[in-house]
Amino acid sequence: MTDLNGRPDRPAGAPANTPTSNPVLKRALVWGGILAAVILVVGGLVGFLVAGVPGLVSALIGTAIAVVFMAVTAGSILLANRFADSDLFVGAFFGIVLGGWIVKFVVFIVLVVLLRGVDWLEPVVLFLALVAGVLGSLVVDVVVMLRSRVPYVDAKLPKAPSED
Amino acid sequence: MDATTVLAEINGNIATVGYGLAAIGPAIGVGIVVGKTIEGVARQPELAGRLQVLMWIGIAFTEALAFIGIATYFIFV
Repeated sequence: MTDLNGRPDRPAGAPANTPTSNPVLKRALVWGGILAAVILVVGGLVGFLVAGVPGLVSALIGTAIAVVFMAVTAGSILLANRFADSDLFVGAFFGIVLGGWIVKFVVFIVLVVLLRGVDWLEPVVLFLALVAGVLGSLVVDVVVMLRSRVPYVDAKLPKAPSED
Repeated sequence: MDATTVLAEINGNIATVGYGLAAIGPAIGVGIVVGKTIEGVARQPELAGRLQVLMWIGIAFTEALAFIGIATYFIFV
């Protein structure tokens, strides 16, 4: 493999073998955040109109849970890619990604159990906001992936205008 | 007391079984996605970036089902 140190499109300090997926995942996180803001506003408004203040709070919590937990996958891949130069990269990568996944679900189940019996929440609004958040972040992920440009090989390419 | 009561009595909420299923299905799905990605990266390490993006989309779709399945706890009484 050619020496990739000193590539101008790579931030200083990043591992030389950083996989080419990083820009796509970062963009997905940014757009996921924008989508979260939109769903928070719309869902909060609808929840407030349907069920008052409990509906508003439920919509906010449901959307936040969905978007944050869906973003953990991309975040864990980005974190794992920081170890790209390590000899243990493959093991560390899947350990971090799958470890993050299982921790996320344990936390999610605990949250669901804790929030179930609370009387200041509206369960149906919370559920619908969560589904809206999950489906919305799936749409964002697919759109970002389809519009992304990931090179087949890890070589230096001219930068696309959309890439930073 | 009839045979159904003796042999197959279930106490509590049957929806609990659904939460178990909501965990098993995505677990198998993510296992396949990640396993196949490991296979692909082992064959062609230079494709790791592309395969990571595909793996991420695969995990996202699979875990969406898990989230919705477990969140039904809110609406099933």
